[in-house]
Amino acid sequence: MNSRERMNKAMHLQTADRVPLMCQLSIGHYFLHSGIDPIDIWFTSEGFAEALVRLKNKYSFDGVLVNLPGRDPDYKNYIAKIEKNDDGSIVRWKNGNYTVVPKDDNPHYYQNDGSRYFPSFDQINPDELFYVEPWDLTDITYPFTWGFENEVRPFDNFFPDYHHDTIKKVLERSKGEFSVHSEVFSPWSQFLELLNYEYALMAIMDDPVKSKACLERLTLGAIALGKEQAKCGVDAILISSAFAGAGLISREHYQEFVLPYERKIIEEIQKDFNIPVYTHTCGSIGDRLDLMMETGTNGIDTLDPPPLGTVELEEAKKILDGKVFIKGNIDPVNTLLQPDEEKVRKDIEWRLKTGKPHGGYILSSACSIAPYTPPRNIEILIELTEKYGKYE
Amino acid sequence: MTEEIFKELSQAVIDGNKDKSIELTNKLLELGIDAKTILDFGLLPGMDVVGIRFRDNIIFVPQVLISARAMKSSLAILEPLLSKADLKGSGTIIMGTVKGDIHDIGKNIVSMMLRSSGFTVIDLGIDTKVEKFIDAIKKENADIVGMSALLTTTMGYMKVVIDKIKEEGILVKTMVGGAPISKAFASEVGADGYAKNATDAVKLAKQLIGIEVKENKIE
Repeated sequence: MNSRERMNKAMHLQTADRVPLMCQLSIGHYFLHSGIDPIDIWFTSEGFAEALVRLKNKYSFDGVLVNLPGRDPDYKNYIAKIEKNDDGSIVRWKNGNYTVVPKDDNPHYYQNDGSRYFPSFDQINPDELFYVEPWDLTDITYPFTWGFENEVRPFDNFFPDYHHDTIKKVLERSKGEFSVHSEVFSPWSQFLELLNYEYALMAIMDDPVKSKACLERLTLGAIALGKEQAKCGVDAILISSAFAGAGLISREHYQEFVLPYERKIIEEIQKDFNIPVYTHTCGSIGDRLDLMMETGTNGIDTLDPPPLGTVELEEAKKILDGKVFIKGNIDPVNTLLQPDEEKVRKDIEWRLKTGKPHGGYILSSACSIAPYTPPRNIEILIELTEKYGKYE
Repeated sequence: MTEEIFKELSQAVIDGNKDKSIELTNKLLELGIDAKTILDFGLLPGMDVVGIRFRDNIIFVPQVLISARAMKSSLAILEPLLSKADLKGSGTIIMGTVKGDIHDIGKNIVSMMLRSSGFTVIDLGIDTKVEKFIDAIKKENADIVGMSALLTTTMGYMKVVIDKIKEEGILVKTMVGGAPISKAFASEVGADGYAKNATDAVKLAKQLIGIEVKENKIE
C-alpha cells in the first residue's frame, strides 16, 4: 500500500495498513530546513514545490498540502533590488512598495510608507468580490487583482494560468505515490483578511446583510477555485477557515456567517468531483464540532488540544468517529516545539492509540509545525506511527 | 433623572451603540455632570459588564469590539475635559506586539479592556523592537509593560525585552500573552505574569500594581 492509498483509506473512514502521517509545516519551517532560499520558496512555484516534496521525504509524510498559490513566472521583472540583512531579505519593488522576507516566517508586503493596505467596509461593493487570496504577491487589493496586474480579471476566468503551477509540479513528482492536497480560503477567512480582522468582526455587527452579500460572492470564487484544483487532480481540498473558532466568534455567528457558505462550497465541488473536502479551523472548536459537521465536511483538521484549543481527542473521537475523518491533534507548541523527546514520544503514542481505532484518523500536528521545531521531533513521528499505528 | 441616563449610557456601551453613547454623554454634560463622573458611573460600569460577559463566553470578540468603539467615542468627548490625574487612573501600561509579529487583534482587545478598567494604555502597535519598549517605559514612567505574540517565531523576543529591562534596572512589571504563550513560558522568560485572555489581563494588571481584585459575577 502506498502513501496515497493509505491516505485515501483514512479519508474515507477506513483502516489501512497503518495510521497515515501528514503534517502541515509552517512556511518558516520550509525556509529554515529545506535548504532552499526563502526567496525561491515564496516567489516561485518551482521553489515551493521542491520544498514541499523535500521535507515530505525527510519526514516520511504520506501527503502534502499545497498551501500557497502558484506564482507569476515573470515576478523578477517587477523587482528593483533585493537587500539582505541578518533577519532575512527585503525585496524592493519597482512600484516603490516592498516585501519583508524573514528567514524564519511568512513574508509580508508593505506599501512604501510601511503600512499594509485594507479597504474600508464602506468602500466594498459586494458585486465586485469574487475571491481574495491573502498570500498573493501584493497582499490585499480591492478590487482584487493578481500580483502586479492592473486589471481585474473577469470572474469566469479569474485565476491566472500560473495559479495551479505548484499543484501541477507536486502532482508530477507524486506520480500517484503520495497524497496531494490543495487549499481554498473559506469566505469567512477571505472576508477577515480583506477588511483586516477587527473591522470585519465589527462589520458583521454593523451591517449583517451587506456582510452576508460579501460572503455569498466570496463563496463563488472559492467554489471556482476548488473546482479548478480538483480538475488538476488533487486528492483532497482543504477549506482554510482559521478564524471560525470560539476564540473569536460565537456558535450563533458561526451558524450565520460561516456554516452556510462552507456548506455551499462543499456541495458544489462534490457535485462534480468525488474527492474529500475537509476543514481546517484553529483554536477553540470543541463547542462547535457538530456545526462543522453540518457543513458536510469530510474531515476536520487541527483539533487543537488544551491549552492551545479545546479539543480532547477522546471526546472528538466519540463525536466524529465514523462520520468525518480526524486529522490532528498533536500540540505543535507545548509538545513538538519542546526539546524533550521523551515527552513527544509519550504524547504521540497516546494520540495514536486514541485516534487509531476504526480508522479515519490521520496523525498530524494540530496547527502548523512551528519554524524552530527540532527536526528530530518530527522525524520520530514516522517511527512511532510504524510502531503504534499499525492495524491488525 | 440623571441616574436613569447613567444606566442608559452603560447599556449603550454594553450594546455597542456608538451613536446612543455619544448622545447620552453629551446630554449628561449639558446637565452639568462632570466628565469624571460620567466616566465612572456611565462608561466604566458598562465595560465592566462587557468584560464579565466576555470572560464567561456570553459574548465574543465582535460584541466586545463594538462596545469598545462606543466607549472610545464617548471618551473622545470626555478626554479634553478630564484632568491629568483623572486620566492617569489605575496606572500606565505600555502595550505592544513584539518584533517580527504583525498580529494585533488580541493585543488591541486587551488594550481596550485595560483602558476600560481605568488604565492609561500606551499602545506601541505591532512589530515592536526592544528600544521602543524601553523608551516608552521611561518616557511614560510606566507601571507595567504588556507584550503579545501570536507566532512561535516571535515569542522568544519577549525575553529580549525583559532581559533589557532587568539589565537597565527599570522598575516596571511585565506581563505576556498570546496564543502560543503559557504560564510556564512566562516563567521561563522571567515575566511577572501571564494572562490567558483580556479579562484575565485586567485582573493580572490590577494584581501587579496592588489593586484589590473583586470577582465579579452577573446573572
